[in-house]
Amino acid sequence: MDESGLTIPSDLGRITVSPGAIAQIVGRVAAECYGVVGMSLRTPGPARDRVTRLLPKGKPSRGIVVRNVDGAVALDLYVVVAYGLNLTEVAATVRSQVAYEVERLTGLEVASVDVHIQDVKRTA
Amino acid sequence: MSDLETVRGLAHAALDSLELSRERIDDLNVYPVPDGDTGTNLTLTMRGVVEALDASTTTERPTLAREVTRAALMSARGNSGVILSQIVRGAADVLGAAEAVDAQSVARAFRGGSDEAYRAVRTPVEGTMLTVVRELAEAGETTPHLDPPGLLAFLVERGEEAVERTPEQLDVLRDAGVVDAGGAGLLELVRGLAAAAAGEPLAEPFARRYKPVDHEAVHHELSRYRYCTTFVVEGEGLDQDVLEDGLERLGDSLLVVGDPTALKIHVHTDDPGAALTLGTTAGTIEGVEIADMHRQTEQREERLLAALPGGAARSGVVAVVAGDGNRRLFEDLGAGEVVEGGQTMNPSTADLLSAIEAVAADEVVLLPNNSNVVMAAEQAARVAGRQVEVVRTESIPAGLAALVAFHGERSARENAAAMREALANLATGEVTIASRDASTHGVAVREGEYLALLDGTVVSSGAAFDEVARDLLERLLAEPRDVLTILRGHDAPPLNGLLDELTARHPELELDVHEGGQPHYHLLASAE
Repeated sequence: MDESGLTIPSDLGRITVSPGAIAQIVGRVAAECYGVVGMSLRTPGPARDRVTRLLPKGKPSRGIVVRNVDGAVALDLYVVVAYGLNLTEVAATVRSQVAYEVERLTGLEVASVDVHIQDVKRTA
Repeated sequence: MSDLETVRGLAHAALDSLELSRERIDDLNVYPVPDGDTGTNLTLTMRGVVEALDASTTTERPTLAREVTRAALMSARGNSGVILSQIVRGAADVLGAAEAVDAQSVARAFRGGSDEAYRAVRTPVEGTMLTVVRELAEAGETTPHLDPPGLLAFLVERGEEAVERTPEQLDVLRDAGVVDAGGAGLLELVRGLAAAAAGEPLAEPFARRYKPVDHEAVHHELSRYRYCTTFVVEGEGLDQDVLEDGLERLGDSLLVVGDPTALKIHVHTDDPGAALTLGTTAGTIEGVEIADMHRQTEQREERLLAALPGGAARSGVVAVVAGDGNRRLFEDLGAGEVVEGGQTMNPSTADLLSAIEAVAADEVVLLPNNSNVVMAAEQAARVAGRQVEVVRTESIPAGLAALVAFHGERSARENAAAMREALANLATGEVTIASRDASTHGVAVREGEYLALLDGTVVSSGAAFDEVARDLLERLLAEPRDVLTILRGHDAPPLNGLLDELTARHPELELDVHEGGQPHYHLLASAE
């Protein structure tokens, strides 16, 4: 696993996009995805393995892990979905929306988008 | 007629109406992903409901409502199908519990559907199916005197207006010259309900009022090419296939329509010149339009890219931070400039000034993150050559909490106000080593022992780090809190045991633990 920036070759030099920047885009897109009511900090495993780079509540990039797999973007999203929705369809929609916007806005290839539904919540 | 028969009839009509417009709705689909399947998804979702109703034998209204809800949930396809299933749930909840199905309860069903649909999304995007269902609910509430068929007919009219307004509400629709596909689909569904309720046949499939989908809609397909090129070739005996073959090699989104005397060409390519050359080889060309697609989508991109650190920002952040891990955290959260400093190495006013000047934005918010730095920060703000707001954060966790409320597209003053508000409900704490013997606030402190402070006040002291830290963290959680952020210091003992205990005692708490790497403070924490 490589967590360095992702590189887009161009005629005038290399353009590097940091994982943090990609995570911010993903966060904004995820917030608009229908069915997603939150991002989760909870990742599986005991507390000591949770010394993560996931970010504080309210910031768009919370619950998003960006990895560089042979120059393409691999994404993991930890999401909370509204109660009573078809989870398979919500996950599929999140995946296609996120992949579409990241490819369109960064020009980087998206290798994978893994959507982890961490919780289902009733919202008032 | 029984409830089941009535609902069956309505659902069949809604499905038929959707089927009639399915392809047109597919063509409208440019948002959120232009994959052209909205009409198909809505139709498949509705078909699942119809099949469940055809198989049902229930005579109980509440059971019927539950069956419809479940069928919509199970058969939901795609984004629009999921939204439809929520609308159906909300409406069925109301009608299942209604004493009588009259205009009032139908209006309440639309309200229920709208409210339920909005419940399942954090940031609703307007100009979509959500807007249309909400406007239908609002329209229904203004007309208490109608009977159900009258109400539905009225809602179809209001729905048409709502759908036509969607391009004004969502840029990507306006740029593509289309109305929202999901909203249009919902309208067709209501049109079917209205026809069935009135006992009338379905109207002609394509409402003439809509502008047909044209070339513009293809612009939002994922294209690798930059220029959208359109022109007309005129001549005699033009061979459409030959032109298509040549153009296909230059790009994508190719469309060649017309007859042997005039062909309209549309192609996305990086080489519009070569496309025009192919045209002039076949005949004479006119009506040439070359549009830069990168510019066409700029607005929406700007909105999304405003999230990037330093991306076209109105204001930026300068933060004073100690510790490599903390520096990375601040940078990841969008701080434009980070100045090394803290308790014992206060940055000078000059250091702060050069950081302020280096920020790539018009205005600056300055986070001192230590009480010893606040004065230098305010001094720097006064003499800086640009608008600088100081948010008087006295610890690194407070700075992080403030930074979370920062948005580059807002002015420094607006940001400062939002950031101060974010700090209002924050409790912060730290564990450090006492530099001398003392007795403060009833706590006896001995030099060299661990010392815990809560919001700047000494709360406990002792030789064992775990005990002092545990005491501090429990005090931070004395009030109910959602998130506990911990920044581990550069020479801090391992936190594993403490974190496992915390998780066991507070199962609902979200723990956000980072290797802060700061000197002097073995542990910095905040709770919100």
